[in-house]
Amino acid sequence: MQQERTRTRWHPIAASHDLPPRHVFHAQLWGREFAVWRADDGYVNVWENRCLHRGVRLSIGINDGRELKCQYHGWRYANRTAGCTYIPAHPADAPARTITNRTYPAVERYGLVWSCEQPEGEVPGVPGLEREAPLALRGIPVNAPAALVVTALRAHRFQPNGRIDGSDAEMVVKAADDFSVALSARADGAATLAIFFVQPVDSGRSVIRGVLDRDPGAEARNAVLRHHNAGLSVLRDNVERQAAARPAPAPIEPVYERVPAALAELPEPSAHGRKAALRVTVARKWEAADGIAGFELRPLKGLLPTFQPGAHIDVHLPNGAIRQYSIVNGPGESDRYVIGVKREADSKGGSLCLHETVREGDVLAISEPRNNFPLRRDAVKTLLVAGGIGATPLIAMAQALHHQRLVHSFHYFAQNEAQLAFGDRLDGLKDTLVPHLGLTPQETGGRLRDILSGYAEGMHVYLCGPGPMLEAARAIAGECGWPDEAVHFEYFKNTRAIDDSSAFEIALARSCLTLKVPAGRSILEVMREAGVDMPSSCEQGACGTCMATVIEGEPDHQDVYLNDAEKRAGTKIMTCVSRAKSARLVLDV
Amino acid sequence: MITLYDYELSGNCYKLRLLMSILGIEYKTAPVDFYPGREHKSEWFLKLNPLGQIPVIDDDGLVLRDAQAILIYLAAKYDPSGTWYPRGNPALLGKISQWLSFADGITATASAARLHDGLFYALDIDAARAGAHRLFRILDEHLWFGEREDRDWICSAPSPTIADIACFPYVMLSEEGGIPRQDYPAIRRWCDRVKRIKGFTVMSGVFPAGPA
Amino acid sequence: MTETGCKDPVILNLWHPIAAVAETAPGRVADTVLLEERLGFAIDDAGNAAVWRSRPGLATGDRVEPLEVRDTLPAKLAYGYLWTSLGSPEEIFPIPEFAEPDRRRLNAATIGVNVSAPRAIENFLDMGHFPYVHTDILGAEPHTEVKEYDVEISIERDEILATRCRFFQPMASTTSSGGADVDYIYRVPHPYCSVLYKSSPVDEKRLDVIAVFLQPIDQEHIHAHMMLCVLDEENEDKVIKRFQQTIFGQDKPILENQFPKRLPLDPRAETPIRADKSAIAYRRWLSQKGVTYGVIPALG
Repeated sequence: MQQERTRTRWHPIAASHDLPPRHVFHAQLWGREFAVWRADDGYVNVWENRCLHRGVRLSIGINDGRELKCQYHGWRYANRTAGCTYIPAHPADAPARTITNRTYPAVERYGLVWSCEQPEGEVPGVPGLEREAPLALRGIPVNAPAALVVTALRAHRFQPNGRIDGSDAEMVVKAADDFSVALSARADGAATLAIFFVQPVDSGRSVIRGVLDRDPGAEARNAVLRHHNAGLSVLRDNVERQAAARPAPAPIEPVYERVPAALAELPEPSAHGRKAALRVTVARKWEAADGIAGFELRPLKGLLPTFQPGAHIDVHLPNGAIRQYSIVNGPGESDRYVIGVKREADSKGGSLCLHETVREGDVLAISEPRNNFPLRRDAVKTLLVAGGIGATPLIAMAQALHHQRLVHSFHYFAQNEAQLAFGDRLDGLKDTLVPHLGLTPQETGGRLRDILSGYAEGMHVYLCGPGPMLEAARAIAGECGWPDEAVHFEYFKNTRAIDDSSAFEIALARSCLTLKVPAGRSILEVMREAGVDMPSSCEQGACGTCMATVIEGEPDHQDVYLNDAEKRAGTKIMTCVSRAKSARLVLDV
Repeated sequence: MITLYDYELSGNCYKLRLLMSILGIEYKTAPVDFYPGREHKSEWFLKLNPLGQIPVIDDDGLVLRDAQAILIYLAAKYDPSGTWYPRGNPALLGKISQWLSFADGITATASAARLHDGLFYALDIDAARAGAHRLFRILDEHLWFGEREDRDWICSAPSPTIADIACFPYVMLSEEGGIPRQDYPAIRRWCDRVKRIKGFTVMSGVFPAGPA
Repeated sequence: MTETGCKDPVILNLWHPIAAVAETAPGRVADTVLLEERLGFAIDDAGNAAVWRSRPGLATGDRVEPLEVRDTLPAKLAYGYLWTSLGSPEEIFPIPEFAEPDRRRLNAATIGVNVSAPRAIENFLDMGHFPYVHTDILGAEPHTEVKEYDVEISIERDEILATRCRFFQPMASTTSSGGADVDYIYRVPHPYCSVLYKSSPVDEKRLDVIAVFLQPIDQEHIHAHMMLCVLDEENEDKVIKRFQQTIFGQDKPILENQFPKRLPLDPRAETPIRADKSAIAYRRWLSQKGVTYGVIPALG
């Protein structure tokens, strides 16, 4: 069938000049529509033209340079991956990683943007266009099937670049197939080769995308473009008259792929343990601040999964250790993950290994990003309060807030200016960044009180830094009237001594299992031994990945992830460190 | 103070709201129940405009009808920069008038198709749509070559003129009349540029653009 | 029975709105389309109405006595509209507030939209789009959260009811200038009709009633009739209508850019979130009823 055969063929679907910054182009191939947009970093995205949520065309959405925002509910999709990064209706939740738009390949060549439904191999080279800078003509949409257009193009006439005034060029069809015609025109010693690609938009609609073998130069260019535009417009009118005389073919009904089953129901987090699903290369390692190494991690192949501000990855180190690092990237910066690693004096092998052993070019195993520290974007004002290396997730958040022009201020506590990490990123945040340098703990407390006074409903604060600073900040926030649900925090680690002396029973409601948790073993370990997979990351009660819902029983919280109100409510538990005060816990697992 | 006799869903009224927003002109709105009430054909309104059409403005006693005429008046009187209707540049004024009547053509086709589909006006819908496509092809070509000649706007001026304001609304609302703009990429880019003019405002059916 | 484009017995047996009484010239033949069928209708000054399948001899604009037209379809006046059916309809759903004497009852407008009726109902039930589509009117960033609400499918009344719905609205009332949460209750008592109850800006103890009654022209085209039944002693009719038309005009380009145009009932066709609970219930309800017109039924 014609359509089957052509699904594997690359077609031009736009011209490069159709994709200026901050614009969304509306393309179509064989009935299937695309939203095509260029991000500020130059990447060309070709996506199915439907928001996954309610089917609204993304071509009416907003290209903000880093993400595409749907016009209907403000869902944001990331450059490159097309993964959803934010769902405004649920500002406290991180969207499921699997909410990802269908993407198609994009290759820019000869001034055109090429794509294909089911690519087999690369965009084929076109003889005659490889030598010099070619010139793409104005695309001419035609209300006629591609075959009619191709037939007409074989008899098309034009004048070569140097002789556009005449009408006597010698025309030769150099090559032709179902979707392209190569014509050469010669007159008075001038010669031009033009390839006319016919993009099959739908069964009865096409676009002629012509490319000349060379750009005639600034002076003659517009005259040449007008010459071809006029000639092709006449051809179009003739072909459309022919097409109008025939019965119109039925438009092609594109088949829309179903979303993953996990998304059809309101999604639960996927269970994937501490798996190192991705391999990345250390593309760059540099001193991001005094004592802090920056690492730029790029995928070995394909794309990295979508991340959101606040997300972290597990890095599996060559020495066997697994450590969590926050992603520092701003929105849409989707070709790499950037992390910052502080050299810890008392390092048990994590930071030391990264600082001393890992070099540029090394391959590391990392987990998919997880976001247990999601950023709400419905605050009337957001405060970010960072201490030292705790700035990393907050730099990501500050970039997102800055990009969306949301009201915020970013307080960054450090010993001195040289310890402020990622100065290049901080430069872009100057308007809202407030460094607090060289303060004693007592002075820090006073400064925190200044920052946190003046709470008003609708404000949110995000805290990340060393344990004592977080404890102080949380206490001060409470005194200043901040409700628990407005105070978001992330500890690097859980410094509390874990008391694992209790023994109790857990009933897993959905797995229909009852298990005994003896002293010295964690709930997580016991579940894993019984074959119940459960995602986890830090395994010390700091990151929130292994959280489970408590249906019955009283938890013995030993983590630093849940806030006091959540701990009192007793409906969530960190299965890596927390235990039971009651003899039995029923978990929704 | 200006009073605008206005109907929210009218693109011709929107032209005036748009220019007044861009120029920062204060005005009062007098709602006209164009649909379903047909108040523009009522006795009181016909006294204001015997043609029975909106919009009409009353600027301290000066009553004016016809969207394009009012655009000229507003720009000539209230634009201190003199760029929206440059009175000292006859060639440009000629071009602006040419495109103002082109805008009337868009109203006669694209707006008519929208009235047919949305408000059930009895008219030849196929002719209206075909007419709009004919005009859009001309406009797209004009704007595409404009991009090659460093001309961002409909007329050859460094900043937009009332010709852009006159053409924009019914181009932007064309899909409500079953006239897609997919085949007019240069028009789609120009629409983004118009939406980024300082002081731009929306109407029902027109979404704002993101930051440039 | 004449051949019709709609083969869906559920839809054929429903009452459907075809015209606002206030916009119909009394004693004159008017015409419209329902479920791909051309219909003629007339209403007289006394409120007698007749609806019939279009036929020669009763041309649009002709004078006619509705009571004298033979071979008619069911006809009924309710909530300010003329309703008819191509099958055997049961009672029409109740809106008790319509009878309250101190309310203003208006047809805000009837507007043609290039979309299926169920897509438009789902949009009517949706709050998450307020800050993006009805910016600075029904919602405003950064107040984007859809708070938890309750949805039930009432077996006894055969309708969907969403309660405890709240959404932040700038200029929430006429008495204060600031924004606040506004309460909403949504009913879907008919596959193509929905009734919304919303905090009254003038009387905090009572609710305004806003309904959409959708007339299916075919599977992908509707006439949306917008009924208002509100507490407002101050504004002229045209001011109230203008507000509602502004809102609807903002939804229109969204509806006309949704694909596919018919509502997909396969749970894996689109991606629901918690905020879409009422839409999920609506899609299930349509599936359970076996509705096929205006939807893409789920496989299997």
